[in-house]
Amino acid sequence: MTETLQGEMAIKTEGDIVLVRRTTREVSSQTGFGITDVTRIVTASSEMARNIFKYAGEGVMRWQRIQRGDRVGVEFQFEDHGPGIADVQLAMQEGYTTGEGLGMGLPGAKRLVDELEVKSVVGKGTTITLRKWLKNLK
Amino acid sequence: MNPDNISVIKVRDLLMVTMPPDPDDPTISALQEKVLNSMEKYEAKGVVLDISAVETLDSFFARTVSETAQMVTLMGGRTIISGMQPAVAVAATEIGLTLGNVETALNVDRALDMVNKPKPGTSHD
Repeated sequence: MTETLQGEMAIKTEGDIVLVRRTTREVSSQTGFGITDVTRIVTASSEMARNIFKYAGEGVMRWQRIQRGDRVGVEFQFEDHGPGIADVQLAMQEGYTTGEGLGMGLPGAKRLVDELEVKSVVGKGTTITLRKWLKNLK
Repeated sequence: MNPDNISVIKVRDLLMVTMPPDPDDPTISALQEKVLNSMEKYEAKGVVLDISAVETLDSFFARTVSETAQMVTLMGGRTIISGMQPAVAVAATEIGLTLGNVETALNVDRALDMVNKPKPGTSHD
């Protein structure tokens, strides 16, 4: 199945959050992740898509299968042109919430994946990249 | 997804609610209204919310479920969540979601057993 090696979809409506969950589930399963890791990836992605819908109105999710050395994984990138995050370090702290948020946010999502990178410029937008690697099968 | 496809069935004096595998936000919001209205309509003593089909529990779903349980409590009822999948429990815990003080059961069978016993922490003996 080469068609899921990479791709992108728009996040514009509440219904797209469900589509993000479906897409991330499919891509992660096909890459070879087990049910627990698939659920971790889908849950983190669902929160990222929800943030885009709530704070930026719309955005894009891009995905691709990735390789580093002999490791294989998946990458999901969430990009929006919303208000941006003023203090990324603060937003990554445990328990941080903007008040109207639900208090899980970025630190929660980070625990579910191997890597979470945030690039944000106030007034320009935010790009959040999630990566998860398959455990080495020795 | 049509919010009408959450099934709320009255069994004896309980409401049995079954969630679909991947509900969208309007469906989750509809759940709350449907459960509360059914509590009144059927004069139910409580709700068993079966989530055994649910594949992802995110923050919105978790918040709506725990809020609904609080509302059911205000109306004099009891809520038991049953059937959370192992992977869902792992992801929900790691991301930091809780269901507040909502009672949980391994499956619907166990939930029905619980209903016939007093709620933990309410006995005075």
